[in-house]
Amino acid sequence: MSMQSIRDTFFEECEDLLEALAEGLARMETGEADSECLNAVFRAVHSIKGGAGAFALSDLVAFAHRFETVLDEIRSDRLDLSDEVMHVLLRSADHLADQVEAAREERSIDEEVTAAFLVNLGTCLGDAGFEAPAADEDFGFSAITLDFGASPGLPAFELPDLGFAGPEFPVTDHPRPDLSHPDPRTSGSGATAAPALADLTPDKKTSAPRHRIRFIPWPQFYSNGHDPLVLITSLAAPGELEIRPDLSSLPEFAEFDPAKPCLAWDILVASHLPEATVEAHFEFVRGLCELSVAPEITPAPAPENPAVALPWPAPLPEPLVEPLTIQSRAPEPEQVVISPPAGPPPDAVIETSALPPEKDTPRDATGEGAGALLRRRLPKSEDDAEGRGPKPTLRVDLERVDRLINAVGELIINQAMIEQSVTDLSLPADTEIISHTEDYRLLARDLQEAVMAIRAQPVKPLFQRMSRIVREAAEATGKPAHLVTIGESTEVDKTVVERLADPLTHMIRNAVDHGLESAAARVAAGKDPEGTIRLSAAHRSGSVIITISDDGGGLDRNRILAKAISRGLVAEGAELSDAEIDNLLFLPGFSTAEKISNLSGRGVGLDVVKNAVGALGGRIAISSTLGSGSEFTISLPLTLAVMDGMVISVAGQTMVIPIASVIETIRPTAADLHLLGTSDRLLSIRGRFLPMIDVAECLGFGRRDPAQASLALLVETDAQAHCALMVDAVLDQRQVVIKGLDSNYGAIPGVSAATVLGDGQIALILDTEALTSNMSGLINGRNGANYLPPAAGATAAPASQSFQPLAARAQALPQPQTGAPHAIH
Amino acid sequence: MSLKENLRVMVVDDMSVSRALISQSLEEIGIRHFATESDSGAVLGKLATSPVHLVISDMNMPGLSGLDLLAALRGNTATQKIGFILITGTPSPEVLKRGQELGLNNLIRKPFTAATVKTAIERVVGPL
Repeated sequence: MSMQSIRDTFFEECEDLLEALAEGLARMETGEADSECLNAVFRAVHSIKGGAGAFALSDLVAFAHRFETVLDEIRSDRLDLSDEVMHVLLRSADHLADQVEAAREERSIDEEVTAAFLVNLGTCLGDAGFEAPAADEDFGFSAITLDFGASPGLPAFELPDLGFAGPEFPVTDHPRPDLSHPDPRTSGSGATAAPALADLTPDKKTSAPRHRIRFIPWPQFYSNGHDPLVLITSLAAPGELEIRPDLSSLPEFAEFDPAKPCLAWDILVASHLPEATVEAHFEFVRGLCELSVAPEITPAPAPENPAVALPWPAPLPEPLVEPLTIQSRAPEPEQVVISPPAGPPPDAVIETSALPPEKDTPRDATGEGAGALLRRRLPKSEDDAEGRGPKPTLRVDLERVDRLINAVGELIINQAMIEQSVTDLSLPADTEIISHTEDYRLLARDLQEAVMAIRAQPVKPLFQRMSRIVREAAEATGKPAHLVTIGESTEVDKTVVERLADPLTHMIRNAVDHGLESAAARVAAGKDPEGTIRLSAAHRSGSVIITISDDGGGLDRNRILAKAISRGLVAEGAELSDAEIDNLLFLPGFSTAEKISNLSGRGVGLDVVKNAVGALGGRIAISSTLGSGSEFTISLPLTLAVMDGMVISVAGQTMVIPIASVIETIRPTAADLHLLGTSDRLLSIRGRFLPMIDVAECLGFGRRDPAQASLALLVETDAQAHCALMVDAVLDQRQVVIKGLDSNYGAIPGVSAATVLGDGQIALILDTEALTSNMSGLINGRNGANYLPPAAGATAAPASQSFQPLAARAQALPQPQTGAPHAIH
Repeated sequence: MSLKENLRVMVVDDMSVSRALISQSLEEIGIRHFATESDSGAVLGKLATSPVHLVISDMNMPGLSGLDLLAALRGNTATQKIGFILITGTPSPEVLKRGQELGLNNLIRKPFTAATVKTAIERVVGPL
């Protein structure tokens, strides 16, 4: 591992640590932090400091050190966690993140800023002050040299290399039991006993009755690939098992036969397991071993020579069938010690020794005498420790994942092509290849979902960053505010998470700056002076819904309308519905703030947010109640690579429309269609009139007689308005791989992307939002009409001309060849 | 065979960066037999079944801290003789005291170099 890659790992780890830090601080803020949480927070800063030290990032070390000192004071109850201290901690965590970021990019951070934070942290400590990091190298600690054993020449080191993971490694000078058999270890067979460890866990007998299981695997047991360790240890919960190997059948070394198992086990298991359960456990090895289950009998007193006269001296039965072939594995090395995840804690030992002596008697008889009876011990708390550990994860270069996703995309296209070819063959329904292609389709879909899951990431880090934005915005505007996050574990495609950061930041700032009233106004309105910004994420039917809400004053629609009129965005005297007024906010260049604050009024309006969300294939909507706040809802597709689409036909072209936006399909009769004015059409459905949009016309294929429209797709727009899209036919409903056009061809108005269909044809994916965006008729010419012909002016030459080429363009796109890279990626 | 070729070391640290840095130092010193472990709880079981000569452990870890690990090792016959070197940034007097009580063999201070690691190990096991 090169230093550079360790450095990279450090910064990756820092991200996790900063996340843990933010999470811990959030819990501290709400007062639900326990000591483990405080420790975790401390450890995060400490670990960053430790790592930074190794890379000589002295600024970072210095800051982390002071931060850590304050945290240590809090951890050890020497410093109260007041609101002021909490604030300093939160801001310091932000600064630490900045420093890490700066260090990663190898730029320096303004020293004055750091100095200010250091002063703040110093103020927290008050008189306690900071001790400089200790400078003495040896801490006044004198090393203790190891004594590797009494014999000179460090015998432990003269052993042949057993391999690091070898079952036995005699560092301890513990005496081995004097087995009358030669130590099989010397044979190098691997069948080593670990007697040195035999009494590391003092046995104690539970008073409860137990089953005694006698288990002697035959050669077939091993040749079938069974593992006695797994079999035995999975029998019962740790602590309920007492396992005793029977070494009595071990042959003299000269007689050792590697294909002949010599080991037997006696297992004592708590009897609350029914005998049948125990027997069922060995179901799969029945006939491969000798097995008997019986209630435990107090065995005879320990014989004098434990190794010779074991309590179970039963010899191994002759195998029923002599092994004819070489076994695939040697007899299992005796794995006496089942390593518990942690050794017995001191208190358990005390508990054991405190047992009444009479309870020790059977132990002496059964186990200690033989020096091999072991008991697996696993205190309850260790279970917790296991559960607490992080899930094993793998860091993978994003490029590799993207390559994989690309390949899966191609695979799905290929699958569609094969399916198409098979369909074209018109084979009888019971032909094998038909069921094979069906399986292939399911597998391809599974594969695609699994690959997409790799890219899925919880929105938590993104949300955590937002709490910082709220803090900063609150500070800048002087409006106290805090962020409440819901659904942090919701997973979204990584690209979505990344590309949402800016829009979310903007909206959160907006919410604090424009959404919340001043503290005084809030008190006057009977609200908590501290505003609440809510950020939530949830999955809803194949999309992710992210909402940003504030408990501020809500949108002042009169002001918005007045502003829009004064800017010429809306005709004077126009009557707009509430939803339409709300949507004015998304118009380019719209800003309602009385004066442009330097926080959110940066010349970027909500239109930028809307575009960013739109670029992710998502939609954004507002709802607001005067006096009680506003809510922005962003709905996003789960993935950017594949979607479920409806394959439609428009003017002889095959196109795809995202199924998520289609509410229903209608086959209107002539009576349902109504003309409005000379050219606009309305569709009457269940007593409502919906605007009808001719897709062909929008895309420049020319206008058709509305009466010919065979099919209408009811779609929902951003503003939750419904409208009907006129198409010729619905051909199919399938999963399509989204292939962006922007980098390969260029943006096409009304088209969001393209895909390759099963027959190899390229189909354009329609952007329903763009198609329907000119429906808010009153906002004439502002929104979408720069590329969509106004409904009334469809025959106008310039508009038609600019759209006419689209049909030709689609045709001109290179047709993919099977197996060759597609022109569209 | 020289000592460093036979010395078996277990590195325990929850941070992969630290593990990598210690590993790098050990490689530089020429110690071949070392393993790393991130979970101080899990390492106890491993050491009980396949003991090593020397454990190099971080102090600050979730679950069992370095000194907790040392205490657990010392409380187990199979592992009580294992050498133990603690890595820590700034050892507090309490840490030093408890370490001495538990028979801590040595300390390595962060940030460390291959040379300081080597010195610390040599003080425990003799010249490498």
